[in-house]
Amino acid sequence: MIKEVNDKNFDEEIGNSENIVVVDFWAPWCGPCRMLSPVIEELAKEMGKEVKFAKVNVDENPMISSKYRIASIPTVMVFSKDTVKDTMVGFRPKADIKKIIERHL
Amino acid sequence: MSERYDIAIIGTGPAGLEAAINAKIRNKNIVIFGNKDLSPKLAKAAKVNNYLGLYNLTGTELKNKFADHIEDMGVEIVNEKINNVYAMGDYFSLMVNEKVYEAKAIILATGIEYTKPLIGEEEFLGKGVGYCATCDAPLYKGKTVVIVGYNKESVEEANYVSELSGKTYYIPMYKGEYNLNENVEIINNKPLKIVGDDVVTKMILDQGEIATDGIFMLRDSVSPSQLVPGIEIENGHIKVDRDMKTNIDGCYAAGDCTGTPYQYMKSAGEGLVAALSAVSYVDKLHENK
Repeated sequence: MIKEVNDKNFDEEIGNSENIVVVDFWAPWCGPCRMLSPVIEELAKEMGKEVKFAKVNVDENPMISSKYRIASIPTVMVFSKDTVKDTMVGFRPKADIKKIIERHL
Repeated sequence: MSERYDIAIIGTGPAGLEAAINAKIRNKNIVIFGNKDLSPKLAKAAKVNNYLGLYNLTGTELKNKFADHIEDMGVEIVNEKINNVYAMGDYFSLMVNEKVYEAKAIILATGIEYTKPLIGEEEFLGKGVGYCATCDAPLYKGKTVVIVGYNKESVEEANYVSELSGKTYYIPMYKGEYNLNENVEIINNKPLKIVGDDVVTKMILDQGEIATDGIFMLRDSVSPSQLVPGIEIENGHIKVDRDMKTNIDGCYAAGDCTGTPYQYMKSAGEGLVAALSAVSYVDKLHENK
């Protein structure tokens, strides 16, 4: 399950989560984002119990994108409450992303 | 996308070709990307005397021998440039502009000819520095963008960016005609360095500097870490083990891209090992299904 998060509910969804949250910043016109989304979906299936997965469309949510200084997409960020624990810029293989998420479990 | 190849080989130098013929002998469904001149380095060699069995040949003569060999084996080269390879898990997606190829295993045999990154380029990657202008342009709406263009295709990207950005500078790294939109400013200086704090703030040139929010480096040949996101690099080369395996399952590398010595025979030998490793990887995938 990947939750679509936006400018309005970002703080609520991410800041109030008991679990760590993995946020995928993407846009429909970005090729590498389209490649990354099935990878994130697989990770959500595998790790969904311990980790919350969310995605932000940067086109529709400029406030959150500029708050976290998204300068290149895809960008995947790992949040614990409202703190950014890790940032991955660009496409990464599944095993890499998994390893980075596991660091924060 | 209709067909998923067993093995995709990127590069048509000695490493790539040797990999191709061996994968073909093992009856794998392969695709090899490169060009019919095989390798520009090969054509330039005056005399080759350290290739066992083929001696006293010019680079071009050796190239012709290679070309005859692969033709005899029915190996056809696909003349397309792979921009990115994405490790999807149990397969790879190979991007050629808007087209996608899929393969279960890949062999990187790209040689070593890419341009060195600028100072600060890697440090600010994703913090203002990017390699795909069309991907990230909308993030620079109304802002200033510098494009360093190494080829003609970069002109199109600069034009696209100029429609969105506040100000676009174009620094050509080659000689030619630049069909740029009127609002793109051409800078005929040499870029030296990218500087900033948390994010990019300016590009330093041999004469002067440009304050900017974003910089796109658009090159012909890309380094392995750009080509295959997530691949491990050590001392400027792709890190491989004795089976020519990289840190990514199903991804192998051979030839100059894995390290010195840069020699034809070494490249061919590595291509052979990489092909056999890839063959056994693909066979195992099938067993597990």
